[in-house]
Amino acid sequence: MANYYDIHDILMQDENVSTVFLHKANGAGFLDPSSEDNNVARGSVVDLPLWLAQDLVQRQIVHVKLPSCFNARVRKEVQADPACIDLRSKCPFYYEMGCKLVELNVDPTLGPYLLDTLRGRYKDLLCKALTATLTGNPKFVPLLTEEETRLFEAGRDSMKAFKKWRLQGPRLERAAILGRKRTRDPTPIWS
Amino acid sequence: MAGQGASEPALFTELEVEFMAEDESINIVPNVRMDTLNMICGDYGPFRPQIPVTVPLWLGIAMKKRSKCRIQPPDWMSVERLSEVLEMEREAPREFQPLPFHYVEIAKLLLDNAREDFENNYMVQSLLEDIKDVRWDKVEKGLKNLSGRTHAVKLKNISAMEVNRMRTFTVRALQSFFKHDNDDMMKQTPTDSDSQSTPSSSDRLPRRTLRPR
Repeated sequence: MANYYDIHDILMQDENVSTVFLHKANGAGFLDPSSEDNNVARGSVVDLPLWLAQDLVQRQIVHVKLPSCFNARVRKEVQADPACIDLRSKCPFYYEMGCKLVELNVDPTLGPYLLDTLRGRYKDLLCKALTATLTGNPKFVPLLTEEETRLFEAGRDSMKAFKKWRLQGPRLERAAILGRKRTRDPTPIWS
Repeated sequence: MAGQGASEPALFTELEVEFMAEDESINIVPNVRMDTLNMICGDYGPFRPQIPVTVPLWLGIAMKKRSKCRIQPPDWMSVERLSEVLEMEREAPREFQPLPFHYVEIAKLLLDNAREDFENNYMVQSLLEDIKDVRWDKVEKGLKNLSGRTHAVKLKNISAMEVNRMRTFTVRALQSFFKHDNDDMMKQTPTDSDSQSTPSSSDRLPRRTLRPR
């Protein structure tokens, strides 16, 4: 799904996840602020950006821990009422990050959980996107993740465009240049 | 979702759909005498006073604006036909009734430009509004049932403007669902038990819906 040049994908991969080093890493002390020498000890917990963690997992150097935004407590909350949880504050790229973690085999229940979350939130999103008013940002928009925001905007914008088309006046408007005062030809183009 | 900006426009704007609708034909009754018009898309006319002639909608409206003709309302825009359609739309909750593909645009153009050519234009307009709302309600209900396993959505007799209105949202929603509801995302459920961080067993159970939605 992900495109190499997709800016959302790039931003998402910059999110930190906490990882456990399975081996001692010499000369990698800059990754771990708490290390005293230039090495990362075996078993130490280090926060790494997702793009780095992904490569290191493939080489079996680190092990990714489940980020707190997917832990059991958050799941319980989401299960109770998916629509009114503020997922953006937990992680703006909640679904994308979840998908990446599924690829890394972090937690077997994560895939179905993400789908349930999306399903639960989708219906509410649908109603709100299609009934959104012409002006102003409703107050639930800050609760949506990036992906949901894009979905919401897609729905809202096409409704907006349709309403605008219905209420519009004459289609042909005079170009600004034609409205200038003329000395010789006072008759308008469209009569 | 790859490669799509947040402000990506729909494939067609409403004005473009309206432009395409103007190619539909319509009957007019001219009140001027005029020779055949030779256009790239065909020849129209000759125009004789009080003799009905079929022209494209754009030509009809252009002549109407100059008061050179009267527009004959199409059959489906009569009060009887529209009430019938509305009745049937309400009775069949899952299907759309056959109407011209561009009915929203044609109706708007005619009612904007040739209002006086309709006998009871208020009635026609309110019937059309009702039909549009009933049909859109069906579209919304259909959208609620989307899931990643949706391979195709059957929308027989849907009109151009309705498709255009739901296009971006539907495509986005289907993409999101597909991303999460494919086998790659699901296959790990029963097998991989070697990973750590085992969640409590209650989390492994399939979700129950607590209340009907």
